[in-house]
Amino acid sequence: MAEKLKSPKIGVYICWCGTNIARIVDVEAVTQYASGLPNVVLVKTYKYMCSNPGQDMIVQDIKNHKLDRVVVAACSPIMHERTFRNALRSAGLNQYLLEMANIREQCSWVHTDRAEATEKAKALVHAAIRRVELHEPLESMSVKMTPDVLIIGGGIAGMTATLEIADAGYPVHLVEKNSKLGGNLLRIDLTAPYLYSARDLLTERVTRIRDNKLIHVCLESKVTDLSGYIGNFSASISRLNGKEAPNDKPLKVDIGNIIVCTGFKEFDASRIVHYGYGKLPNVITSFELEKMIRSGNIETKEGKAPKYVAIIHCVGSRSREFHSYCSRVCCMTALKYAHEIKSAHPACYVSDIYIDMNAFGKGNEEFYRRSSEAKTLFLMYEKNDKPVIRKASPKDDCGMLLEVNEKLSGEQIEIPADLVVLMVGMEACEDAHEIARLVNISQDKDGWFIESHPKLEPVATTTEGIFIAGTCVAPKDIPDSVAQARAAAARILARIARGKIEVDALFSEVKEDLCSGCRLCNQLCPYSAIEFNEEEKHSNIISALCKGCGVCVAACPSSAIKGRHFTDQQILAQIEGLFAEIL
Amino acid sequence: MAIRVNPGFIDVLDKFGRENIQLCYQCGDCSAVCPHADEFYKFPRKPIRQLQMGLEKKIETTLEPWLCYYCGDCSDLCPRNADPGATMMILRRYLSSVYDWTGLSRKFYTSYKWELGAITIIGLMITLLFSVFNPNGIVTSLTPEGGVKVNEMFPVETVNTGAHIMLITIAGFLISNIIRMWYFTILKDKTLKISFSSYVIQFRQLIIHFATQVRFSKCKDKKYWGFHWILMSGYTLMFILIVGNLKWFQTDKIYLWYHPQRLLGYYSTFGLLLGLVYFFYGRIKKADQIFKLSHLSDWIFIVLLLFTTVSGILLHIFRIEGMPVATYYTYIIHMAVLVPMLCVEVPFSKWSHLAYRPFAIYFSELKKSALSIRNREKLFLKHN
Ligand SMILES: Cc1cc2nc3c(=O)[nH]c(=O)nc-3n(C[C@H](O)[C@H](O)[C@H](O)COP(=O)(O)OP(=O)(O)OC[C@H]3O[C@@H](n4cnc5c(N)ncnc54)[C@H](O)[C@@H]3O)c2cc1C
Ligand code: SF4
Ligand code: SF4
Ligand code: SF4
Ligand code: SF4
Repeated sequence: MAEKLKSPKIGVYICWCGTNIARIVDVEAVTQYASGLPNVVLVKTYKYMCSNPGQDMIVQDIKNHKLDRVVVAACSPIMHERTFRNALRSAGLNQYLLEMANIREQCSWVHTDRAEATEKAKALVHAAIRRVELHEPLESMSVKMTPDVLIIGGGIAGMTATLEIADAGYPVHLVEKNSKLGGNLLRIDLTAPYLYSARDLLTERVTRIRDNKLIHVCLESKVTDLSGYIGNFSASISRLNGKEAPNDKPLKVDIGNIIVCTGFKEFDASRIVHYGYGKLPNVITSFELEKMIRSGNIETKEGKAPKYVAIIHCVGSRSREFHSYCSRVCCMTALKYAHEIKSAHPACYVSDIYIDMNAFGKGNEEFYRRSSEAKTLFLMYEKNDKPVIRKASPKDDCGMLLEVNEKLSGEQIEIPADLVVLMVGMEACEDAHEIARLVNISQDKDGWFIESHPKLEPVATTTEGIFIAGTCVAPKDIPDSVAQARAAAARILARIARGKIEVDALFSEVKEDLCSGCRLCNQLCPYSAIEFNEEEKHSNIISALCKGCGVCVAACPSSAIKGRHFTDQQILAQIEGLFAEIL
Repeated sequence: MAIRVNPGFIDVLDKFGRENIQLCYQCGDCSAVCPHADEFYKFPRKPIRQLQMGLEKKIETTLEPWLCYYCGDCSDLCPRNADPGATMMILRRYLSSVYDWTGLSRKFYTSYKWELGAITIIGLMITLLFSVFNPNGIVTSLTPEGGVKVNEMFPVETVNTGAHIMLITIAGFLISNIIRMWYFTILKDKTLKISFSSYVIQFRQLIIHFATQVRFSKCKDKKYWGFHWILMSGYTLMFILIVGNLKWFQTDKIYLWYHPQRLLGYYSTFGLLLGLVYFFYGRIKKADQIFKLSHLSDWIFIVLLLFTTVSGILLHIFRIEGMPVATYYTYIIHMAVLVPMLCVEVPFSKWSHLAYRPFAIYFSELKKSALSIRNREKLFLKHN
């Protein structure tokens, strides 16, 4: 514990916040009260303490009166703690020697009785004064940043991120479990909406990866172990020997950051029993149609050119029984099929049976428009009233008949079909939970990895140094996957460029001599920041990972963990101050 | 019972001048703006959907396209530029071909060779009839007033008989087709129960709409209705004068200008001319939505009408001015254009709407009253 300063010189600043505080709280009374408290050198009030003149006043006072502690009684620290910390810093005082008393959100805004609110404000200010006496000057830390990056998954997202980082001049380890780079795009022919060939998109990337000396590609491999923390990870890469088992000795690599790009797998269409996938020979999935298109032969199992093709959307997506989310690419892919089928068999009639036509995204509405002009028969079905497929009778000129309750016309209709294409949705990979555990990130209810903020941090995770990109986060198309991959790479490059990373000063510390080695805290830490030192038998907190939440501090039976800036003494002093007038 | 979709139906419509039907995504803006759509007749949206889906059997029963006057407001508004107004026009062509049992209507609408061929053949036959088989030839002597003796050159009795034969034939076709229209749109729908009294009460609709097209005035731009009415009244009047009352209309005696024979003739000529100028101007300039798309059948019709009108005016001048030779040839040309126009256009092409539309309004009112009774019954049952 830091020695209590002989006689700290505390400056107290009480803000009116316009009328927000002053209307309910008698700020003059609080000023009077505070001036009478021990160690308080000066007390001032001001209309807007956060304004430039307000801050300048604090800075000048610190300099002129040699203040070494400051209390600001104003709004919530979430609002302005940073502001006043900066003021302390510019006056040459350590920023942690500040304490805020929240007399707005916790007082004036929630009370109506002026006398009582004023009493409460006094108590809050007293508490802050007592606490700030015990504040210690703290310094933030920095740790080294290894420039090497590990990328898991060699689909379009993984390859893009790899190239982005290697092109900037840093080494990359790219781990892909299959024998080829490319991921699901390897199974796709043309891409919607501009009909670029997927093969062309991939070839350029694969060649550049092969030719780049900074890229170390591990095919048929998996990351089997990971330890360390941001800037200082160590990963084991094991080769898979056909049967997904680690073979020879794993390769150990040191890396600073990781991007997970493990992609998606397709929904198993046979789970929707009544579509008869696997039983009716001419009911196929989108990927099977891609295969036909790539081989240049769109035909029925009997080897005939189809006269009628029906495409059913949302297979496994947007349904109560399977996945509630939309897979986002299948609508445009279906339009692409309509186009490709028509080019192969101009006399063929294509019906496109959808719930909604999802044509968001650049170029997609136009693509929908062009497809409409190409006489595709668009039919809408009700989410909970799926089309029914049955065999046609010999006198019909088609192999199957689809019965649909068509929503836009309200008619019960029958559509002829020789080939039915099921637009299977995307699903999280079956081994996604393994990866999640390995790199310590979370999954949502559908198995997709969770970003640290869905709007503002779409590629970061709650674990520092671990990024996610592409379809392992949620279904998306190629442009979005590529954008995410580049975003993750840019985040990492910015950190590598700084050479080291700053760690906030508010982390916890284990006093090694007090730690009994019970390891209780190891499991409790939500950020996996505590490691156990086997040799010396005590726990150790990795300050770069610790967020200062205090869980371990509270849990430690030996009181061996100290939360910096939240010490027991500081909190007790604060409580004493709060009740000083009552006790 | 599920209705079988005919995915190839859209190809059939191509021949009738199909425009961007598939672009429609069923937002319903068109039906909201159309002054003629209501809770019973949700067009253009609904028939467009049936069309997109290839519900051929449903389309046959629909009267809605006839309730549209093609003001084009819906096409202006359509967010997908699917041109719903034009689609209604195309459906009217298609439906005319469905009602017509001879199959000629379909031929004329889908093949310009057929339409032009038919007009040319009839035109040549008329020329032959009037020039070769005309016993009197050119009569050069003039009447006491100095006019040409038209009735001597072309015996009015004979011509009149011919006109009556033509009238009966045209009417025969039209009436039989209207009966088929009634069959498709009313009789086939077994759920509709229409009483005899309803037929009688609603009959006034037929008369009113034939005579006034007052519904057209509900469209935002009233000038279409005005021009259309003047053209159509001129046309109908002329039709009645020539085909029904030739003996009164075609005389050797030159009446004074205020005689009804001349006044009526002048009015209908004026109506025809005004309408023609307006529609020609519109179609050439493509000024408004309704003129944006001109099918060949639209052009053929107004060109024939123009020829007929101009030759009719010349004929009148030559006769009064006493110019036998000019009168003789102009008369033959006039007939060679007029007769094919009437024989082709009225029963089988563009001008059949003159009969179909008022009947469709009549039938639609019958349907509506039957439907509202049914709805009321349903409501009643629900509440009890
Ligand atoms: C039928 C269909 C058609 C499509 N058509 C289009 C289109 O026309 N236009 C368009 O923009 N988008 C289209 N898409 C979407 C497109 O496929 C995806 O956006 C794109 O493939 C996503 O790339 P990715 O890198 O995120 O994932 P993926 O392509 O799935 O790549 C992931 C890679 O990670 C590897 N991997 C997984 N787990 C591990 C592990 N544990 N260790 C190592 N490696 C691992 C996989 O083997 C794979 O190579 C289509 C999707 C489908 C289903
Ligand atoms: S993109 Fe289209 S087909 Fe795919 S799940 Fe979404 S709505 Fe359904
Ligand atoms: S304070 Fe929280 S984040 Fe830090 S080590 Fe303890 S439990 Fe983990
Ligand atoms: S035609 Fe146009 S306005 Fe009418 S429903 Fe279709 S998209 Fe909407
Ligand atoms: S063109 Fe005019 S009358 Fe015809 S459907 Fe459209 S809005 Fe109605």
